[in-house]
Order: sequence, then structure tokens, then C-alpha cells
Amino acid sequence: MTEIYPIGGGKGGVGKSFITANLGALFAKRGKRVVLIDLDLGASNLHTLLGINNPGNGINSFLDKTAKKLDRVAVPTIIPNLFFISSLHCSMEVANLSHAHKLKIINAIKKLPFDYILLDLGTGTDFNTLDFFLTSKQGIFICTPEPTSIENSFRFIKTVYLRKLKQIIKQHAFQSIIKNADASSNTAAMQSPDIIEIILKHDPDRKELLKNKLNEFHFKFILNQFRKNLDATLGDQFETVFNRHFYSNFQFLGNVGYDVRIHDSVLSKKLYIHKYPYTPSSTDLKKIAENITNNRPSEQPEQEIS
Amino acid sequence: MKNFERLTYYDILKIPPNSSSFEIKRAYRDALSIYNEDSLVTYSLFSSDERDKILKTIEEAFLTLINENKRSAYDRMLTDSGQVDLSITSMRNQKKPVPFYSSNITDIDNFAERVRKKSREQEVKKLTNEALSKDLISGDDLKKVREAVDVEISEINAITRISVSVIKSIEGNQFESLPPELYLKNFLRTYAKTLKIDPQRIIDGYLKNISLAQKK
Repeated sequence: MTEIYPIGGGKGGVGKSFITANLGALFAKRGKRVVLIDLDLGASNLHTLLGINNPGNGINSFLDKTAKKLDRVAVPTIIPNLFFISSLHCSMEVANLSHAHKLKIINAIKKLPFDYILLDLGTGTDFNTLDFFLTSKQGIFICTPEPTSIENSFRFIKTVYLRKLKQIIKQHAFQSIIKNADASSNTAAMQSPDIIEIILKHDPDRKELLKNKLNEFHFKFILNQFRKNLDATLGDQFETVFNRHFYSNFQFLGNVGYDVRIHDSVLSKKLYIHKYPYTPSSTDLKKIAENITNNRPSEQPEQEIS
Repeated sequence: MKNFERLTYYDILKIPPNSSSFEIKRAYRDALSIYNEDSLVTYSLFSSDERDKILKTIEEAFLTLINENKRSAYDRMLTDSGQVDLSITSMRNQKKPVPFYSSNITDIDNFAERVRKKSREQEVKKLTNEALSKDLISGDDLKKVREAVDVEISEINAITRISVSVIKSIEGNQFESLPPELYLKNFLRTYAKTLKIDPQRIIDGYLKNISLAQKK
């Protein structure tokens, strides 16, 4: 079965591309067929972390119909079984992807014949990023243990929720409710995750539907650039808080320790896990890869705390 | 944003209903570290009103569960409303502190009084002075004094916390199993004080005896 893992997180520079590249390599080394897709449209640089100089036309040749299928544009990497689809040679305005193109990409991704598909997403909370993140129910978000990153992570989860809610609402025709809610609270509701509460109040009958839909999500998160002097239970504390105060399931996958050699590997354009396979941070990444493969939500449903 | 409204106090502290008071205290401390206003985890997640409410609920949960009477009333309420199985709460594994030293002496003041009275008796005084007047004091002398004031080794152990084996080594002149001199001096001082005899005399005499024995 194909597993799609979108990798996002509100803040820039927290290591989304780094984690995508290295987790992908680890899955591939375990014998899985893996494809990494750079969906940081307009700011692609996943190819550099993989040590690929010329990643080909990638998504662009799929969008301009030179390639009929998305898997045709995947290029091999130095790691066997690890493939890569670039968005480097897309048009300069690709960041403002049209809705039709976005759907085309998402649908093609869902049909890719690989074991693992990792999507490297861009910074921020624009609709493209959110929709790519919602391609799968098991998005991974990366954050660093810093207030700035943590604020953005909460913001990211809330916007993902709002985006998802709007999708559900469209599908199940609660427009009138959301409009009422919107009008009654002067758009404040649209800025806040408490929109869920408002909808629940307006339409208690749909409460279960909404809760069930949100409960289907099994988000995962990673604390990157973790320095030794920090509280080691931080990740577990986040897990508790997320599971308690949001409506989905959250799994803390682990910390990735801070290491100056990560910077060195980026400078030398080499894949970190390949260049330094036995450093503490590499061990952290291996543990995380194991956590992901061992805890598939389909095999091990998590308990909801309520 | 979900809040605590429908959680039980046990859920709020993330502990099972049969937790011991020790576990409750630790869980309370953990909860505070997550929800205090400086916490990296939640500082941006709640408004100060929401935070106050949450902290108040956590405190309420703690104060209820840590108090035996309040807790059993709360448990009854939970079982009556079917939220918790009674069999779980009744099996509560309250951990009692395990005494490190088992002792049959309950009243230390009483013991001191007993030793004082005994050591004033003519016969005991004579024996004690005899032992103390010697230049070299051996373990046998100490044992004689202890037996004269009618004190058991276990009693000395209970009061002074000096281990039974050390006391036996001191009294049995087993020099090779004695602790280093610094500790030995302190043990002897405490030992002598317990038996109401002059500590300095005992230390000097006993150490002299050891050094003499080792020269041989």
C-alpha cells in the first residue's frame, strides 16, 4: 500500500526539506520504493540536499503535458530505490498555481506507484501548501523548540483545520451555518479554530460527523534542531496538549538533535544520512523512520483522549 | 479548542484511578509544567482567561485527589455516574513508605532517660570508670560498659543509625573490617554519647589500642 506523508510546518528554516530528504533515504535503504516530491513551489531546493545538480524538468513537464504520467518525470538519486520529482524548472510564477493544476498534481500524486511518497512543502499557510498537506491523513509537521516556530506550528495546525472544515462543509452542505456563524461574529470566527465550537453549537446534529472527520487525522510531528540543554519531555508534553485540545490524533515521532555537520553536509551538497550515517542526529532520524513504519494508523489505531 | 469540561480529574492529571498519592503529586507537577504561563508548549495557545480556568481546574483536581476523604467522595460520584468502574478504585494500590530501619524503640527520650538512670547506679559507675581509666580501650571494654547499662546492639543501631555490623566489629576488635579512621572516630563518639560516657576518652583509648595492635 502506498503511504503518502506530506511534510510541512508553518515556519521557514526548521528543516522540512532536510528531514524529507533524509527520511526518504532511510526508507529506501530499508528496501522500500520511495519518491520525494519538491512541492515548495517557487522556492525548490530539495535537489541540492540530495546532491542532484540537474533534476530534470520534473513537475513542469507533467504540467505542460510533455510527460503524460507523473512517475515518468521521477529521476533516480545516489541511493537505490530513492527517486525524486523536482519543481525547479517550473515557471517563475508557479508559486501561484492554478486550482486546476493543483488538483491535477494532487490526483497524480495519489496514483504514483511507490511504497512511500514524501511531499516537501513550502513555508507558510497558503492554500496550495494546505491542500498538499491535506493530500493524506497523516501529515508530518516539523518544528524547532523555539517560541517562534511553536507559534507558527499552532497557527499551521489551526489553518489546516480550517481548510479541512471548509472542505467538509462544502461536501456536506452546511454553508448556511458557516455563513451565519461568519456573520454573527464578524469574521472573528474565521480567524480562530474555535469555529469548530461555533459550528457544533449551531448544528449539534452534525457534531458527530465533524468530530469523526477530524478524528480520522493522525498527524505526526518532529522536533528538529533539538539542543541537549532542553527538557527531554518537551515532545511528549506537546503530544499531550495536541491530543487534548485539538480534535485529531497526534503522534510525537522524536527529536532530531542539533549537529553542525548538518550544515556542513548542506554546504558540500551531500545527503547528510549518507555522508554521516553514524552521528547522533542520524540515529535520531533512524528512530523516527522506524516509528513511522511501525506505527501505521491503519494497523494500530490510536486511542482518543476525551 | 477542546477543554477540560468533560474530563474526570484522573484524566486531567493523566493518571489511572488507582494512582497513589505519590503519583498524583508527580502528575500535578507535570501538568503545571505544561500549563504554566511560561511553558514553551502552551504559552501561545491559550488566552490568559483560558489559562486561569485550566490551572484552576488542575488545582481543583489535585486538591480533591490528594485528600483521602474528598477523593473517596469523588470516586463514589464517578462510579455512581458510571464513568469509572468501582472495582478499579477499590483496588487502589496506595504505596505506604517502607521504613528503612525497623526498630522496636518507639520513644527515644525514654531510652535516654533509662540510660541516664542506669549509668548513675554505683555498680555501673564503677565499671565505667574502670574502663575509662585504662590507657588502651578495647572493644571488650566497650561491650562491658554497654552491657552494664543494659543496652542492646539493635537499640544503638536504631538510635545512632550505625550499622549493626560496624558496632559488632568495633566491639569484637575486628580491626580489618572497621571503617576508615574519620568515620570510626565519629562512630565512636556517637556510641559513647549514647552510653553517656566521655567520647574523647573512648576515641583516644580505642585508636591507641588499634595502632598498638597493628604494630605487633
